[in-house]
Amino acid sequence: MPEHTSMSAKVRELPPRRANRLSSTRLGSAIVNDYWADLFSAKEQGKKVVWYNGTYIPPFFHAHDVAWVHGEAWSAYLAARHVEGDAQMAGESRGYDRELCSYARTHIGQALLDMKDLKDGKLDPQSPKAIAISQLPLPDMIINAYPYCSSGQQWDEMIYRLFDKRVPIFHVNIPLLWGGRKDAAYLAGSEMDERKTYVAHQLREMAKFLSENTGRPYEWDRLSEVMGYIKKSAELRLEAMDMCTATPSPASFFDWIVTIAHVNFMPGTQRLVDFFEAMKAEIAARVVAGEGAVPDEKYRFFFDGMMNWNKIGWLAEKFAANNACVVAGRYTHMSFWQEPQAIDLADPVPGMAHNYLACPNNSGAPYMIGEIDRLCDKFKIDGMVMHVSRTCRGMTNSQHLIAESARKHGRTALFFEGDVADESFYKDELLNTRLEAMIESLDSRRSVMA
Amino acid sequence: MRSVIESFSAVAGDSVGYARRWKEETGRPVIGSFPMNFPVELVHAAGALPVIIQEVDEPITDGEAAVFSFYCGYNRSVVDQALKGRFKFFDGIMFADHCVQLLGTADVLRWHDPGSRILFNQLVASMDATWAVDEARNSLGQLKRELEDLLGTIITDAALHESIALFNHNRQLIRRLYTLREEGRLTLSARDLQHVVKSSMVMDREDHTRLLAELVAACEAAPAPDLRGMPVYLSGHLCQAPQLTLLDLVESTGAVVVGDDLYHGFRYISTDVPETGDPLDALAFWYFERNRKVPCPTRADGDADWDDFLVREVTRTGAEGLIVLVAKFCEPHMYYFPEIVEACERAGIALLKLETEHDGMPLEAFKTRIETFVEVSRRRKHAAALG
Ligand code: SF4
Ligand code: SF4
Repeated sequence: MPEHTSMSAKVRELPPRRANRLSSTRLGSAIVNDYWADLFSAKEQGKKVVWYNGTYIPPFFHAHDVAWVHGEAWSAYLAARHVEGDAQMAGESRGYDRELCSYARTHIGQALLDMKDLKDGKLDPQSPKAIAISQLPLPDMIINAYPYCSSGQQWDEMIYRLFDKRVPIFHVNIPLLWGGRKDAAYLAGSEMDERKTYVAHQLREMAKFLSENTGRPYEWDRLSEVMGYIKKSAELRLEAMDMCTATPSPASFFDWIVTIAHVNFMPGTQRLVDFFEAMKAEIAARVVAGEGAVPDEKYRFFFDGMMNWNKIGWLAEKFAANNACVVAGRYTHMSFWQEPQAIDLADPVPGMAHNYLACPNNSGAPYMIGEIDRLCDKFKIDGMVMHVSRTCRGMTNSQHLIAESARKHGRTALFFEGDVADESFYKDELLNTRLEAMIESLDSRRSVMA
Repeated sequence: MRSVIESFSAVAGDSVGYARRWKEETGRPVIGSFPMNFPVELVHAAGALPVIIQEVDEPITDGEAAVFSFYCGYNRSVVDQALKGRFKFFDGIMFADHCVQLLGTADVLRWHDPGSRILFNQLVASMDATWAVDEARNSLGQLKRELEDLLGTIITDAALHESIALFNHNRQLIRRLYTLREEGRLTLSARDLQHVVKSSMVMDREDHTRLLAELVAACEAAPAPDLRGMPVYLSGHLCQAPQLTLLDLVESTGAVVVGDDLYHGFRYISTDVPETGDPLDALAFWYFERNRKVPCPTRADGDADWDDFLVREVTRTGAEGLIVLVAKFCEPHMYYFPEIVEACERAGIALLKLETEHDGMPLEAFKTRIETFVEVSRRRKHAAALG
């Protein structure tokens, strides 16, 4: 008898490997590894380096041959390799409170470590932590383009001050689409139109800033070229996501989360297009074969909140062991190049602004939650897994409202505590108990309906 | 003098009650707003009462399930009050400031009272961008249009000029009290001064200004108090008033407050709006000038540093120490705090950090820490005097 049919509602500890992860995502690892290797040698290649935070603006850098470091990604890179501790300790010893955004704390801590190492001329070459940490090239420019979250904006102001204001900084403001006007609608109406013009203007100014700091004119044609690949990749990704309406779902949230880097900040090239093509093909083949990301899919969940980067594998297995497929999520399914149709390659900037404004958090709660509910209906979601990422208020702000709306739509919801990059906030026991309760309630609901 | 302070204290202690009564008595609308830079002159010029929504001391109950415990006390208290129905009488809530927690709170309020009018237009936060002034003016224009629509009225330039002049006068009078305090001639305590500023965020401004003028005259005429203790500068609390017991504690433990940059203090009244020219241009100017005068960590401005400002202010006011009140979970403050610590270390300024919480504070422990702070500073000063 297959294990799942005799399974009680109890959450299993130490599950055997059951998550059937897509094999094509492995191709993606090579792209990411090459990106980091290239970045680590940027200075040797004579490239200027920009540190940035916020939305996915790397096409602007790529088109101008500037190397880019995404602060959040760097923190996630360290966290996923479990080497974030040193950077966080450096931050803490300067007085950064542990209740502050742990992405920012890790990144700022990193900057501190780098500077100290440079100053002292000492790095333990044997330590893998020191190796990872010492590789990051220091910035020639800082750019901040953070939608919604004020912490995201302030983060770079602190980095700017850490470098004694010697590194030029540029801010792109991406204002909230509050939706208070009479003509307000999701990503539409006069507010959206005005904000789009405003953000597009700032993006052109940002290109000027890049040009001024590299001494080279900005090549707009190259931006169109890079965006051609990005647009195609985004379309393929969304088409592949759409196929996950199938039961069982051919891919899970965890497959999408490990490819966030690709859609977020990998270079726009044919290689990226090929990668998403391969992912889509594998997903299509699974649909035909009736193969699921969780072999015996019984429950379909939506993951809300920022990813708990140091727990990806652990969580994937935990849900799979309970025959639960986390099919979609706010971070994976709503946050990156969601609106490729808005991009006109002849003049990509307004469409890029449109996409940046489309960050789900950046729309007022009624609009964002309307979209979450729509996605949950589309993917036939039974329950919401709400990751309360302790130090990321950008993501936790509307979570009570999201859960309330989900319940109104007949879905269950559980909350569990964790964090984006600070492992100490994660409570495994709490998740186990709540997952168990959620599964029990789904089972009893189903037995009543049967 | 005491009767004026008592009037101010009554309003400051029950701002919602005051505003509700004002509405009943006048039949005119009330507009709530959140901190920090919403130009309330616009509301006054539209014939309504602008009220800055305050944190209240009562425990968080109804709000517990709507806002996480790791949000600052201001946000938790505001959500709690809203869920208890306290803001229902507001004709609208308008705000313009960007703190991520505040944005979340506004959404919780809108969600739980879908019929309410909560309007937001984000003021540009990167203050030194070349387009920042134009953008700020655009946002202010939009706020004005939305307010006109909300109240069904037109705000004329003449009315706005009049409101600006009134509010300037009000701020100037309060600043006069600050000057007297710096000169050691103010008979009011830190608690009293908070009542003055906090009530100015709520009360009918004509009434407030009239009483304030009386108070200033009385303070000018009063003999200088016999102030003994270590002069300290109070900093922090970007949105909420420090609990009065905490202010009392500071002043009863060997310290005398000689200056502050609290929101319920100098930060709020630091800057006047130009009274000539286009009033929206003037309000935009005020917005930037305010951040230059008292830098705010929620704004990005390469030239305005809160840490440098504090070092200058501590020196200018003759304070011998800096007490920083950090509201627990206030991210903008937590981010900036290490800069302040380092700047004070460089300048040789003694600093004491007190982390404040909505749900009870360890006042006994604070008392010991303030006493120690005062004592250590006194000994240091003594040692320095001996050479
Ligand atoms: S708190 Fe969250 S949204 Fe804000 S900067 Fe940190 S990770 Fe980003
Ligand atoms: S600035 Fe600080 S005190 Fe004000 S709402 Fe934000 S977190 Fe709270």
